[in-house]
Amino acid sequence: MTSTAAENTRAPETEDGAERKIVAFFCRECAYAAADATGNARVSLPTTIRSVLVPCTGRVSPLHLLKALADGADGVYVAGCLEGQCHYREGNLHALDRIEFSRALLESVGVEPERVQMFTMSAADSPKFVAAARKMHETISALPPLKRK
Amino acid sequence: MPLTARGEAIFERLPGAAPRESTGAIGCQIVRHEELCIGCGRCASACPSGATLKGDMFDPMQLYSAPPDSRRGAIGTALRAIARHQPSGSIAVPERVSAFRTIVFDASRCIGCGACARACPTGAAEALPVPAEEIGAGVSG
Repeated sequence: MTSTAAENTRAPETEDGAERKIVAFFCRECAYAAADATGNARVSLPTTIRSVLVPCTGRVSPLHLLKALADGADGVYVAGCLEGQCHYREGNLHALDRIEFSRALLESVGVEPERVQMFTMSAADSPKFVAAARKMHETISALPPLKRK
Repeated sequence: MPLTARGEAIFERLPGAAPRESTGAIGCQIVRHEELCIGCGRCASACPSGATLKGDMFDPMQLYSAPPDSRRGAIGTALRAIARHQPSGSIAVPERVSAFRTIVFDASRCIGCGACARACPTGAAEALPVPAEEIGAGVSG
């Protein structure tokens, strides 16, 4: 195993030492295919990420995002197709607007909107998929754990 | 009472005719229960006078006050669990989000037809009879 792979699987470095949890919704047509390619290339992802397969990012509603946060996730992200390349024509555009709406909801109750993000990539773009996962991992690790009532 | 587009078209075809002053008391009184609203917009589609419109803003407090077994209520429960403070004011709604919009009701344009109450699937728009003392109060001539 290369040193970079070992580095990636290491326990996350956060100020308080507690591990964050990130829930990721992957579109079956692109991000999941990119995830497959990533796995075949034996590139490891941050261990904080829990993936959920969805047929299209248009399936993801604000309820999915907020319930994930309420039930234990510190961050949620959605990875879908590039704009104009949705398998179902415009599911990813609906997802973009719903994520914007969810971020506005979070902001209105005083929660950092960066906890919810959307990334777009093509099925062949494995490096972008890994970059998105690492960026999300870094963003959430820099934030304090999400407090719940 | 403002005329509908169709009403205005009729008066255009009748030179010299003018609408009589509104009686203000022809229909029912519309009461909206925002906590029951699911944002489907059927009231806005049914409204003939443009008094009920689907707005561009959303008040997150509607999620808190929705019934817990409804979809809005489920989002409200999740939001309440992570909230640091009460929602501060209304938020702008992106174009493709259609279900999370606060219905704007303009009572001054309402003709009291009750179409919104008939169209509403949850009973959020309710048509009440006009109180007896108001009937005829606005009738002139």
